[in-house]
Amino acid sequence: MSDNKENLILHEDEKHLVLEHDYDGIHELNHPLPSWWFGTWILSFVFAVPYFMYYVMMDGPTLMDEYKKDMAVITQIKEAEAANGANFNLEEYNSWIAANDGVAKGAVVYEENCLSCHAEGGRGDIGPNLTDDHWINIKDHVGADTIYPVVFKGVEENGMPAWGEVLSKEEIMSVVSYVLTLHGTNPPEAKEPQGELIK
Amino acid sequence: MSTNSQNPGQLEEFSYNDKITKWFIGATMLWGVVALLLGVTVAFQLAYWKLNLGLEWTTFGRLRPLHTNAAIFAFVGNAIFAGIYYSTQRLCKARLFSDFLSNFHFWGWQLIIVAAAITLPLGITTGKEYAELEWPIDIAIAVVWVAFAINFIGTLVKRRERHIYVALWFYIATIVTVAVLHIVNSISLPVDFMKSYPVYAGVQDALVQWWYGHNAVAFFLTTPFLGLMYYFVPKAANRPVYSYRLSIIHFWSLVFIYIWAGPHHLLYSSTPDWVQTVGMVFSVILWMPSWGGMINGLLTLRGVWDKVRKDPVLKFQATAITFYGMATFEGPLLSIKSVNYLGHFTDWIVGHVHAGTIGWNYMMIAGILYYLVPKIWKTKLYSLKLANTQFWAATIGLLLYMMSMWVAGITQGLMWRQIDAGGRLVYPNFIETVVKIVPMYWVRAFGGVLVLAGFIIMVYNLIMTIKLAKKDEKEEVFAAAPLNASSEEANATPHRRLEGLPILFTVLTTLAILVGGAVEIIPSLLSNKFIEKNPNVKPYTPLELAGRDIYIAEGCYVCHSQQIRPTPEENLRYGKPSTAADSVYDRPFQWGSRRIGPDLARVGGKYNDMWHYRHMMNPRDVTPKSIMPDYTWLFKKKTDFASIEKKVKVMKALGVPYSDEEVRRAFDLAQEQAESITKGLVEQGIPSEMKNKQIIALIAYLQRLGIDTSDKE
Repeated sequence: MSDNKENLILHEDEKHLVLEHDYDGIHELNHPLPSWWFGTWILSFVFAVPYFMYYVMMDGPTLMDEYKKDMAVITQIKEAEAANGANFNLEEYNSWIAANDGVAKGAVVYEENCLSCHAEGGRGDIGPNLTDDHWINIKDHVGADTIYPVVFKGVEENGMPAWGEVLSKEEIMSVVSYVLTLHGTNPPEAKEPQGELIK
Repeated sequence: MSTNSQNPGQLEEFSYNDKITKWFIGATMLWGVVALLLGVTVAFQLAYWKLNLGLEWTTFGRLRPLHTNAAIFAFVGNAIFAGIYYSTQRLCKARLFSDFLSNFHFWGWQLIIVAAAITLPLGITTGKEYAELEWPIDIAIAVVWVAFAINFIGTLVKRRERHIYVALWFYIATIVTVAVLHIVNSISLPVDFMKSYPVYAGVQDALVQWWYGHNAVAFFLTTPFLGLMYYFVPKAANRPVYSYRLSIIHFWSLVFIYIWAGPHHLLYSSTPDWVQTVGMVFSVILWMPSWGGMINGLLTLRGVWDKVRKDPVLKFQATAITFYGMATFEGPLLSIKSVNYLGHFTDWIVGHVHAGTIGWNYMMIAGILYYLVPKIWKTKLYSLKLANTQFWAATIGLLLYMMSMWVAGITQGLMWRQIDAGGRLVYPNFIETVVKIVPMYWVRAFGGVLVLAGFIIMVYNLIMTIKLAKKDEKEEVFAAAPLNASSEEANATPHRRLEGLPILFTVLTTLAILVGGAVEIIPSLLSNKFIEKNPNVKPYTPLELAGRDIYIAEGCYVCHSQQIRPTPEENLRYGKPSTAADSVYDRPFQWGSRRIGPDLARVGGKYNDMWHYRHMMNPRDVTPKSIMPDYTWLFKKKTDFASIEKKVKVMKALGVPYSDEEVRRAFDLAQEQAESITKGLVEQGIPSEMKNKQIIALIAYLQRLGIDTSDKE
């Protein structure tokens, strides 16, 4: 065989490290462990052992503890937001929509969140048709003040999600303004009327 | 041949069984093309959903497990066997123990691969990642593996070399550990010839599965290749191995520590905190033992880097070792809890895995084949230029792959957790985070094409090389002295003496891996913390159970997780965190490992039945831009009501608290539930004959997910 000791490439500084053995022509040097390697390994223990002791043996915070702490903060923020969102004021709504081009913004919000149930142009699909005069979730009259709470709080028994948990007050106001523009249009393939007739 | 000159009178003549190596080389080339082609296919399916082709056998959920199984067990597996059989004979100066066992091993393994290639596209799966094959195939794997073990250890026993070399240590660790992992993880109770339920449920199943899954990486994709590296790198470079001492230290530390690290796949899950912490700290401590192999490999090339530039064998091997170093740095990094939180469920992990499989395994296999084929067929490589072309194609392809997956994974991970000042998710619609990374899917798929093209070039190059070989070459005869007391080395160190006792060596290796495995697994089987009961959580109804099996068969777990992590953003997106009690009746657990679609742990009741109906018919109807395939056959194929009673019975035997009444009436209960779901849908315009179709059972399951505990804080 060609691979024998004579052909072995050896450097001057390592000749004394070659071990006696030979396995199918393979030789072994006996270099000491690289110190950076060994040092880093020791460091990994220096990190791991106290870490383990703190979190497992000394009651360091568990993932659940951390979660509850973070969740408390989020809950507080959400409660403040919910109070603000639930507090609908028609004047505030009208001036905000006029000042912020609400309908155009609402069209985008609608496409991203409402389209999958109410379909394009509000013609209805899984959710009801929004263009006719029949409504499932609102009474009295069709207006921002009646639609807004439905979007914000949702109507669980009818499958309408509470969007106040997902969308901001501004987003909901804008999408309500967009939905109001759909009312009275007569899109093709519209879903049959559902709910009560409301003028 | 270096022979023992002390006993010139007693030489024994022998030859090597290289025919078996040739066969395994052929199988490696064949299955390599198949595995990579499947990889490229599934990569394109994610970039462009229509490539699922609308057929049940070709959807991502069924082809992706086929790809992983083909890559790991068919491609890499055959390469391992080729390399081990070639090198072991030479390191032991002995022919393989049994030609019969060698042939049995070869044909048995190929049959298993064919069985996998048939069953997985048919949706016959246990739904456990990298262990998807059903119980009869699992038994076949165990039998063939034992044949391999006997053949290998038999060869060690009849060796003519007193001490066993470091490569053989790694082969020993591979053989015993894979056997232990495979058997423990596969224990299940059959329902019929092609269906079974695991004996473990929920958290227990998750722990056993990831103890297996992690160590499949360790002992199928890592240790055998370290062994092969220790043989083929010094042979190709004609250089001595850098450090014998390092070999000893990193071998024992690697096999002992690796086995503990499995739970890092379950960080932030509902497994107990201490298990997760153990998984994390052992992963960090594992970093240097892994790098010990890299250092020993790279420093063996000290002073011959000019050869690395010219010789394709060394070029591939040096690249492989470099990628090994990169992946084994990334691994511990990803095991740090906070880093893991960002990367888990994203494509970062997919990129990491491929740094290992393409970078380390594929490159090493290419190097070994470029060494072995000319040597074993006694000829010269057909084209150096083609080998270089492959090298650049594979390297550039892999870099594109990894970089696109890093970008995709970190982008998605950050988008998922973005919360605005009002306490709302910035990207509440999951699809937004998918659409964002689709361009990266195209880059990844293109990278995959380069890797595949490189492999095909190599296969062509090697076939042309084999054609250059002379026909009817006789087996070469060698001579060496048998083992006797005088071949004992004078002043041998304790470890050197241990290397003369391969059986004891095997026993010690087995003990080293059993400690970590036992600490992880046994408490999960004994302690009720792992199977925490919540009286609100009830077993699935018979129809839900049938629906769950459809969910598993379609490989839904490949894209949808069922495990909500305990953080505010996960709560906002999916509901309250998953607990151990939630999955106490889940056999197998379905926590998943990648969220290509949203988590489903609490999807029950979130949408109405019609939404699910429409979503399975055409996902884009309800989620514009969705990349999920259409599941049209669910509306044509019938639910297997006949087997439901048997399924409930097996579940009861496994300890799920069904009453005798429920078992007896399982068929009727399922029919009744299907009836009631269908009635609601018929009102919305679907035909009433849907009642018996799979879609109804699947809806039943999906509507059940998480509702037992979702609104009870």
